Amino acid sequence: MAASIGAVVCRALHSRRHGKFLSIGRGLFSGARCLVAEGETHFGFQTVSETEKGEKVYHVFESVAKKYDIMNDSMSLGIHRLWKDILLHQMNPYPGTQLLDVAGGTGDIAFRFINYVRSQWEHQIRQKLKSHQNLSWQEISKSYQEEELKLPGGSQVVVCDINKEMLKVGKQKAQHLGYSEGLSWVVGNAEELPFNDSKFDVYTIAFGIRNVTHIDQALQEAYRVLKPGGRFLCLEFSQVNNPLFSRLYDLYSFQVIPVLGEIIAGDWKSYQYLVESIRHFPAQEEFKAMIEDAGFLKVEYRNLTSGIVAIHSGFKL
Amino acid sequence: MRGWYGSRTLASVLLCRQPPPSGAGAAAAAAHRRSPGAAARRHASDRQTGQGQPQAFDPALLELLVCPLSKKPLRYEASTNELINKELGIAYPIIDGIPNMIPQAARMIDRKAQDEEPKQT
Repeated sequence: MAASIGAVVCRALHSRRHGKFLSIGRGLFSGARCLVAEGETHFGFQTVSETEKGEKVYHVFESVAKKYDIMNDSMSLGIHRLWKDILLHQMNPYPGTQLLDVAGGTGDIAFRFINYVRSQWEHQIRQKLKSHQNLSWQEISKSYQEEELKLPGGSQVVVCDINKEMLKVGKQKAQHLGYSEGLSWVVGNAEELPFNDSKFDVYTIAFGIRNVTHIDQALQEAYRVLKPGGRFLCLEFSQVNNPLFSRLYDLYSFQVIPVLGEIIAGDWKSYQYLVESIRHFPAQEEFKAMIEDAGFLKVEYRNLTSGIVAIHSGFKL
Repeated sequence: MRGWYGSRTLASVLLCRQPPPSGAGAAAAAAHRRSPGAAARRHASDRQTGQGQPQAFDPALLELLVCPLSKKPLRYEASTNELINKELGIAYPIIDGIPNMIPQAARMIDRKAQDEEPKQT
């Protein structure tokens, strides 16, 4: 039922009849965190079985994979880059960090991690050179060479995603941009990670956890694969705190984003799913409680852009 | 500083373009040519010489990966380019140098069944 109303609304907009139908539809759906039966979950505003959700999400990302980055830039007006940069700054990795980036698809976080670790290393070298003016030429050239063969300090990032297409796009990007060492790609399910316990220093999941069918399982797996002292970082859309801004944000989400999706990626439905799934994801405090339930300590969150996105962080101690 | 950065980026790009040292240089060259005959031959052996990886499959990843179901270590089988879990008798495929660790994508070794379609739940 909800789906057919949605479809009518979509077709209405297609025929260029501005906003009126869409706002009625939105009125019906706003704040729709309706209860679902056992074994059922949400796919945007539809109620689907849990198995179906996984398949539908897979198809969404399979279909948008090639245009994913362009769409991110257009929808967020490039602001998603700032959000990801802030995530990296909060992570503040040192050379030698082992990072697991789940739902990392096209590699945005992984590439930023590599850049960050490299620039930290360069900074360290510069400091060393400043203080030890009498380094021999061999020592200096050796430090340059080490850098090129692998990531400084033995840092490593593993990008794990359930979707092959997204990883393929990511791998191509990596080859194109010249990232090779210390970077691995694995197809895996966030609810059942193919890694042993206590392997990683940092676990990140950026804009991925709302697509997971069983979020609590994903959080438990995150806890499992982190080393003691490891950090969990989640960058995800969240609830806007300011009511006026919230109205504007809703307007933008439901009026503009699916249209952009149709124009740029030729896929209205996937981007309709995107904006709906954001509304269904738990708010900051609720998600914080879920993270604490998985065993993480010192769980905090930080709102960005008035709560459009939030970075949740927790430690395995 | 900028010159140094530039040369380092150039060096890393050059490194990417290096043919793999394991002697699969011919395979890599064939990959670039993309002839249909070569494609069939390549499919059987380890065809994946991703430019950044010296072998078809990075052995460093093997230390990290375990079977998602049993969490036991896996063995890399070069002939079929798969990761084998002997205990459960399943094999995870490696496609384009990327191991597919979804249980539904795994193949049962004993029955030698076809790869199931990777249906994700």
